[in-house]
Amino acid sequence: MNWNFQLGIHPDADQLSLFVEGAATSQEHERMLAHLAECAECRKVVFFMQPHQETQPATRTPVKGWIWGRLLPVGLPVAALACGLIAVLLYIRPHSRTPEIQQQNASARPPDIQIPQTTVAPTTDSETVARSESSKKSSERNALSSNPSRQENHHAAGSSLTVSRAANVEAPQPTAAAPSVSVPAGHAGGSAGGVIGGIVSELPLNGRSVTNLQQLQPADTKTAASQNSLTKKKDLGGLMIDQASGYDKTLAQVSGRITDRTGAIVAGVTVMLRDASGETRQTTTGTDGSFHLTELPAGEYELTATASGFRTSKQSIELNPSELAMLHPVLDIGGGAEQVAVEAASPTVTIQTESANLGQVDGGQVVAEMPSMNRAIALPSGLPVAANVSHGKRFLSLDNACNLFLSRNGGKKWKKVNPQWTGKAVRIELAPAYRSDAPSKPKNETMGQASEVAVFLLTTDVGTVWTSKDGAHWHQQ
Amino acid sequence: MLGEELWRVAGAALVELSKAEFADALETIGARDNFGLDPGKQANERQREVFWRALHLEELAIARGCALGRESAWQRFLAQYREQLTRAAVEMTGSAALGEDLASALYSELFGLTEREGKRWSPLLRYSGRGSLMGWLRAVLAQRRVNQYRKIGRETALGEIEPAARVSEQLELKQLEDLRAAIKVTLSAVSAEERFLLSAYFLDRHTLHEMSLVLRVHEATISRKLKRATERLRKQLMGALRARGLSWRAAEEALGTDPRDVDINLRNLLQKSEGDPNSNKADLDKASLDEERQE
Repeated sequence: MNWNFQLGIHPDADQLSLFVEGAATSQEHERMLAHLAECAECRKVVFFMQPHQETQPATRTPVKGWIWGRLLPVGLPVAALACGLIAVLLYIRPHSRTPEIQQQNASARPPDIQIPQTTVAPTTDSETVARSESSKKSSERNALSSNPSRQENHHAAGSSLTVSRAANVEAPQPTAAAPSVSVPAGHAGGSAGGVIGGIVSELPLNGRSVTNLQQLQPADTKTAASQNSLTKKKDLGGLMIDQASGYDKTLAQVSGRITDRTGAIVAGVTVMLRDASGETRQTTTGTDGSFHLTELPAGEYELTATASGFRTSKQSIELNPSELAMLHPVLDIGGGAEQVAVEAASPTVTIQTESANLGQVDGGQVVAEMPSMNRAIALPSGLPVAANVSHGKRFLSLDNACNLFLSRNGGKKWKKVNPQWTGKAVRIELAPAYRSDAPSKPKNETMGQASEVAVFLLTTDVGTVWTSKDGAHWHQQ
Repeated sequence: MLGEELWRVAGAALVELSKAEFADALETIGARDNFGLDPGKQANERQREVFWRALHLEELAIARGCALGRESAWQRFLAQYREQLTRAAVEMTGSAALGEDLASALYSELFGLTEREGKRWSPLLRYSGRGSLMGWLRAVLAQRRVNQYRKIGRETALGEIEPAARVSEQLELKQLEDLRAAIKVTLSAVSAEERFLLSAYFLDRHTLHEMSLVLRVHEATISRKLKRATERLRKQLMGALRARGLSWRAAEEALGTDPRDVDINLRNLLQKSEGDPNSNKADLDKASLDEERQE
């Protein structure tokens, strides 16, 4: 202490600098603190000695505690090693479980289902439409998943595929002892997954989902399944066949989508499947042009697709048990007045389709639906046109959302028709009114004047048929 | 042998310091600080060597050379410290002109223009070399700045203190007397560090960051220590008030007294300078404090 600068005993500059720089001993530090607590001037000196605060970063207390100080260098590598080990275990774990699940697959014996030899009851339009909607996605997935394994059998030719596989390929019969075929079409989604799920639910799989089974199914199964597919006798438009997994594994299914030559979807096409005995099953394509027929016994079939304004398409197919035939028939536009009557034995429903002439029907100015025209029509909904019929300047269009639109001026302005029916409109067509007292129209009737004998027909998804003369007012038939 | 080695390490020859002059400086510093040992202990050769080797020998040589008026030492001093010293003075004063004036005044003082007992005397002789020379220079600069500040502060602070003193003198409430006595008792037991924290924070209004820089700890530590100190002070004050016969409610009310009424007491208790010969009141307070300690 000195008396050099201030009155009283105060620490000199040397002691102050030692205190500020932390070079003082503990005793000096205590003495300095005691003095600073009492001496405001020295406190000011000490605080003045501090370097400028803006240029001096705040000091940080070093991490205290010997535990962290010693464990940190060791703990970090150990933690990194543990993380890596966990990652490796997570990566290996699914692969190591594959044999276990395959064994469980082998134990999954398909239920013994008696193949019904009797005639399959016809399905109504509503039933088939509902099934078609539910299995449409699964069918598409089946087709996509089966494509890689079938590329060697298919020869692409434009938009259609030609199946050149020999018909006498012996398909291995699915047996419970063979793990690869014990769960046929296990990779299929949708209804296939449901069936497998039903089987698997009875198995002690410890709650594992069917997805695991589908994912873990070996590729050989797909190949075997693909070899056991449909034999086709003639070129079919876009035929893709996959192993079906329907409700009954011995029954087959047929699914597909009908388009015209331009690739446009054709809605309202009557699809009829006739077997060798003459029994028929039929359905109608929905607004997306798809159809689906299920519970078909194995055998040869003739598929007929008829639609107004198009030529009838016929093709023969052979269905093997447990197969799902994916068909993509292509329809040609009809060249002239054509009336196709497709009849089948009971109990199928016979539908008489009146195909419209592109120019006239019954002398009237009737223009039937033209798929190429559909794309030129811009509906207020903004959706693509699924079906279109016209009578003079009166146009009726059905979009993909089953909304019906009416135009009275040749398609210039459209107005949505309020549904007076229940369900969804799935098909529209133009048919002549069967009125015996209908006066014949003069031949020189100008375009735009609707023929009184022509009426619009609308079919809903529940199977009801509605008629309208002007397209705006509908009455149930 | 050791002296010659230290002389060479310090580069004392560069500042025109002889070995004898440098050895004399080392002996003086060692004797003044007792070689870093407690008072009364005798340092052996090893302890002396450790103490000397821990010094800032090069800076000590410069300081000694400057104090003895060696030209080369001053050249080195100016080359190394002039700019830093001026910048530190500007920082302290907050003004370039005041800072340069402060630095110039210090230069003249360091150069030895003052005489003591008929001899030329430079403050650099007080530099021990235990800390850095720049730190020592900052301390000297800060002391000069505080002297200036105190001159100005005294002229303005007297008017502020008077009314407060009158208020405290006028207040003769028993509650306030009890509180004052309790504060004396309580603060007498507070450690030096806590008293410094309380004074710097509550009296000088320094920030936690500034205090953390002084004590070289994080400001969170300062905050925690302050909180702990105030809580303990409150408990002890409550205990002291209750010991003087006040009820709990009365003690609470006493603690809720306007701080301005006890501000003088706090300053006297925390800020008194024990060696200040001009402070009679401080002596009285010290005497009363000692009495209470004995009690």
